[in-house]
Amino acid sequence: MSLFHGRWSRRTSLLAAGALAERDRAATLAHVESCAACRADLAASRELITLVETDPVRLAEPPLPVGALVSRVQARLAEDERPAGSRTWVKTLVPLGAVAAAVIALVMFRASQRPPLREQTGPRQAAVSEDSLRRLEASVARENAVRYLTEAQDLLVTVAAAPLACDRKRARVDVEEEARRSRELLSRRALLVEADRAEMAGARPVLEDVSNMLREVAGLDPCARPEDLLAIQEQMSRRRLLMKIDLMTRELQG
Amino acid sequence: MEASDRELMARLAAGDKDALGPLVERHHVRIYRIALSYLRDRDEAQDAVQETFVKACQGAARWDGSAEVAPWLARIAVNHAIDRYRRGRRRSKAETPLLDEDHGQRIAAPAPSPERRAMDSEAGERISAALLGLPDRQRAVVVLRLYEEMNLEEIARALDMSLGTVKSSLHRALRRMRVTLAGLRP
Repeated sequence: MSLFHGRWSRRTSLLAAGALAERDRAATLAHVESCAACRADLAASRELITLVETDPVRLAEPPLPVGALVSRVQARLAEDERPAGSRTWVKTLVPLGAVAAAVIALVMFRASQRPPLREQTGPRQAAVSEDSLRRLEASVARENAVRYLTEAQDLLVTVAAAPLACDRKRARVDVEEEARRSRELLSRRALLVEADRAEMAGARPVLEDVSNMLREVAGLDPCARPEDLLAIQEQMSRRRLLMKIDLMTRELQG
Repeated sequence: MEASDRELMARLAAGDKDALGPLVERHHVRIYRIALSYLRDRDEAQDAVQETFVKACQGAARWDGSAEVAPWLARIAVNHAIDRYRRGRRRSKAETPLLDEDHGQRIAAPAPSPERRAMDSEAGERISAALLGLPDRQRAVVVLRLYEEMNLEEIARALDMSLGTVKSSLHRALRRMRVTLAGLRP
């Protein structure tokens, strides 16, 4: 390729992609008429563009019905909009309560192991407490995440199983209980899961997938159409969600 | 008469949640296709659509009332797709044990849809591989130009790049794709 051709190479690419302004387009076309290498270059780029135009994703339809998508978006917004003050104290106190209980148990255990006449020095005691607290907090965070995942897994297994038909409407399935439990579990997620902790980094994608799936179940009509349920089951299967919950639960439990 | 995109955005900015449904209905297919063109994964693309509308609602108050809504949503979608792809790439190594074969066999994969089969065809697979082989920003430029048909100035604004960089990126991406897709006929 000559240096001269190199100067026109970018223009022929842009020409093929329909991205040249009229004046540049005319100048490039005029040049291409007199340059065999540029003509070949333009033809190759045009062939590529034609090939990309056949990409099947151009006609792809979203797997999620628009109603379910709107419900998901609204649920996400509601989660983010919940006033921080209304949950922060619970979020803090629930794990701290567990930590406090564990610390008391630890202190009592250590006291029972301690030789009766030996004196404790202040700094050493503080160092032990801080380190223990950190480990206990991490342990409580992991346990809470496991509890959330286990409850979600139970619920999703129920959804995946053959549900009962609705009394009210024929050819529909009764998911009222599952939808209610999903809403309840989602509302408890903020209390149970401290997803922003460093120890939770590996679990975040699975926690997010689980919450998305629960939102979909929560958004179902109590007398749902079987195809809506099937769509949820297919998503769970495609994402291997139950398996991921299983593995993540084991990982968190160490 | 149907509300325009701008009216719906103004209503969203004022806190009217009922404006979300019509806006999603009007744009979700296009946003899904942008995300899918970039991410090449249906579930990831669907999640990206959800997050695009979440961000659109959260940013509604800051939306410039004179701007077109469709390119603004496309901008959110493609930038979110870039972030999502980068995060996914970082965590893919950490998640490798989750693809353990024994566990994978416990849940049967559903039959592929016609669209999935098309994407899995040789042409679909090779186009996916060619796009995924591009640097993140080059791929975004290709998607916005060849799939979304945005002009170069719009792409520059959407990706916060200079016009010259957009031109170079498009040129380099096309050259690279010509090599990766050599021998594949339309």
